[in-house]
Amino acid sequence: MVKIELHVNGQAVAQSVEDHALLVDLLRGTLGLTGTHVGCDTTQCGACTVHLDGLAVKSCTVLAAQANEARVTTVEGLAPAGQLHPLQQAFIDCHALQCGFCTPGMIMAGEAFLRQGPASLDDESICRALEGNICRCTGYVNIIKAVRQAGASMARSPAHVDVQASEAGE
Amino acid sequence: MIGQSLPRKEDRRFVTGAGRYTDDIQLEGQAYAFFLRSPQAHALIRSIETGAARSMPGVLAVLTVDDYLAAGFGRYSHRANPPNALSPSEQQFQHPLNGYMFMQGQLPLAHGKVRHVGEAVALVVAQTHQQARDAAEAIEVDYEVLPAVVQADAAMQPDAPQLWDEAQGNLCFEERFGDQEAVQAAFCNAHHVVRREFRHSRVVNCQMEPRAALGSYDPGSGTYTLISGCQGVLRLRAGLAEALGTPAEKIRVTCPDVGGGFGPRTWLYVEQLAVVWAARHVGRAVKWTGDRSEAFVSDYQGRDAIIRAAIAFSGDGRILAIDHQWIGNVGAHTVSFTPMANGTRILSTVYDIPLTAVHVSGVMTNTVPTAPYRGAGRPEATHVMERMLDIAARELGVDRIDIRRRNLIGQAQLPYRNPMGLTYDSGDFQGNMDRALELADWNGFSSRREHARKAGRLAGIGMANYIEAPVGMGSERVEVTVLPEGLIDVIAGTQSTGQGHETTFAQVVSQLLGVPLGAVRLRTGDTDFVKIGGGSHSNRSMRLGGTLLVRACEDIVNSGRPVAAMLLDTEQPEFAQGRYWDRARKQAVDLFDVARHAAAGGLTPCTDGRAWCATAEIHTRIPAHPTGAVVCELEIDPDTGCVRIVNYTSIDDVGRPINPMIVEGQVHGALAQGLGQAFSEAYYVDSATGQVLSGSYMDYGVPRAGAVPPLRIEFTEDPTAGNPLRVKGGGESGITPATAAVFNALADAVRELTTQEPPMPATPAAVWKLIQDARDRQT
Repeated sequence: MVKIELHVNGQAVAQSVEDHALLVDLLRGTLGLTGTHVGCDTTQCGACTVHLDGLAVKSCTVLAAQANEARVTTVEGLAPAGQLHPLQQAFIDCHALQCGFCTPGMIMAGEAFLRQGPASLDDESICRALEGNICRCTGYVNIIKAVRQAGASMARSPAHVDVQASEAGE
Repeated sequence: MIGQSLPRKEDRRFVTGAGRYTDDIQLEGQAYAFFLRSPQAHALIRSIETGAARSMPGVLAVLTVDDYLAAGFGRYSHRANPPNALSPSEQQFQHPLNGYMFMQGQLPLAHGKVRHVGEAVALVVAQTHQQARDAAEAIEVDYEVLPAVVQADAAMQPDAPQLWDEAQGNLCFEERFGDQEAVQAAFCNAHHVVRREFRHSRVVNCQMEPRAALGSYDPGSGTYTLISGCQGVLRLRAGLAEALGTPAEKIRVTCPDVGGGFGPRTWLYVEQLAVVWAARHVGRAVKWTGDRSEAFVSDYQGRDAIIRAAIAFSGDGRILAIDHQWIGNVGAHTVSFTPMANGTRILSTVYDIPLTAVHVSGVMTNTVPTAPYRGAGRPEATHVMERMLDIAARELGVDRIDIRRRNLIGQAQLPYRNPMGLTYDSGDFQGNMDRALELADWNGFSSRREHARKAGRLAGIGMANYIEAPVGMGSERVEVTVLPEGLIDVIAGTQSTGQGHETTFAQVVSQLLGVPLGAVRLRTGDTDFVKIGGGSHSNRSMRLGGTLLVRACEDIVNSGRPVAAMLLDTEQPEFAQGRYWDRARKQAVDLFDVARHAAAGGLTPCTDGRAWCATAEIHTRIPAHPTGAVVCELEIDPDTGCVRIVNYTSIDDVGRPINPMIVEGQVHGALAQGLGQAFSEAYYVDSATGQVLSGSYMDYGVPRAGAVPPLRIEFTEDPTAGNPLRVKGGGESGITPATAAVFNALADAVRELTTQEPPMPATPAAVWKLIQDARDRQT
């Protein structure tokens, strides 16, 4: 067992976890944040994507212990309560989701990509950014549109940054 | 409202992580289940030693099928033989050639034998998931390994390993349709006969949410409850009732948000039965969440058909007769014969063909059972017809488009009865093809081919016409209730797994009753309030559900008239634009005004405190035939075998789309699945041992971002008169013609090298080899 202290969506968390406990299980189980999903067991599908100190990671392949002293953001913490991040809004506007299961991971991966201020929002760049996220429902067409739309609006009004990352000095 | 591309109401919870899928749900005191699965494809079970597992930390139970049978429970039927497309009260396959049809009753755990890698052998229930998993590793199973067979044609050989004593030659059934004599005569007199064998690959569903089930039992009331993502709660409840020997009223099935269905989630799975049984056994709720590795060896799989096609042609390229052999790989258990039923009904697709004969067989093999997967037989039938037309065109020296023109059903022939008995009521097949060719600039392709050739690439173009015959459960019901607080409550027996019903059904009701979209609430997926219904599959939901909503809303409007009349002091108030109007058209009241007054005054329709509610039911199918045409243009790099789709054009007649954005999304997703089967998805199983070689996303090529190429979709409509909303269905349009068009384009690209059938999937390695072998033969 190991004691860890971290921030999840801005809240301080102190837990004692098994050495082998996964970050995704800490989030979904212990903390009840079920927005992050488990879709595979080989780190391929990306449904478990969260931000660890601002970096998009697959939480199924990160040990809870590795998140000690880190700031974790899940989809639930992407925007203040009652508000939507431009990417979340773009997903709705562009019909970029159907069953919704891949959506949190897709949004977290997309947000990390857009936050960097990518050089290009062309298909190739967005597809490469989302290479690690599988969707079975949408065929990706509208997901790519949504990322592009949000990217354009974020470039116009760059007010939205990952709140946790900015506090961590990213 | 109807016809508008409105954003979806349900999306807010999904984009903020507030969706509620089965594994997100916790029941107080729940224990965790883990299934020990067979590592062998075919073996006798000599013994199962559970002693060591039982004594491990946290273990509450270690169960085998003996425990299940000792408790007095029994088998359930998958009802593999589907309802007849023409008369749903009968079954599809009624005259098996060898006089029997084998459909085995399903038990939750293996009984005496395992018949596919991944078959559930034992169940461990423990305090934590990890404890259950650890204990399962301590179970000792003594297997006597038997030879395995995985290909359907190999399983039919006389010396093949036999899976079930009752299925002689591994045949569940074989049946013939059509006038054999007339077909044979047509073949004898034909100018030319085209023959080819098509091997349609097996695919894995890969819905993003792994299957999960949460079972509980209340000993006080003797009620079982199952919470599980599925495609229809009533079907699951019926199977559970049968297995548990319990009346349906003592079983509740509820379905939360579901992460993808696509067909295979319609069936009752052994894990769903096992958790309710285990919950009763251990006296606590039992939760099972499958992982993806399990999904690859236990989720019912799609396609896997061998079709030996033969078509007889006249001298000028008219089809005289079809004589196909369809061999369907059923897998290790008899779950469903639906793909064989659907596919054989639509063999002639959109072409005017006087005679059709088919010999269909369902064959058992040591593989995961197959079940309907998006399209369910219709993509296979379309693939065969479209490939055969291209092959015939080449062999007869006829242009590929001309041969289609000569055979397409003309509008003057509607309603057209196809040789398998289906009647197409609408569809502008010639017009759809013309439009697809025009948008794709078919006629300008030869210069693009030349341009590619100079750059060292092989370019090809192919097309496919398609038609669907959506079938599915022919029974459905809706309830519409007007609540005085300003809400319209709608109950339906359909169940969305991502199709957006909360929005599309609301659009229909909103328009019919004149209420805001936000005032309509759809409830589905709970046997407590869904009394009749078929769930969602086969494009049925809006066609049946929508039709019933029209009827129920009419009843609502009529039953509110007396109170409206009183409020407006008008005898027969007209209902228009969502309001009841007085004669002078000056005053109006809406439904909620009426509801409030009726409830407050105990007036009809709310006399005796009744809710203002209308129901509508249907117990037959509403046929409709989505149709269209697609063109695929691609380029092959012969040095690598990599294929790039340059353009894909899709003309789709889905009827009237309720929400065009949602229907287009369905086309995108279905197309991606079709392209997946065409290029990268294949379930590789070692043919000698039955071992699964593609058991995870590392080895199974599910498409990733960028899979769908530059795409042009256009909706068209030749209206159907078969239902008041003119809905045909849009869930499977994208997948039905996809492999057909792709493979026609591939064959076209390599036409100067070979006429050999490109293998499915056309992976870079397979395409490269096709080209290399052809070049080697030429030198």
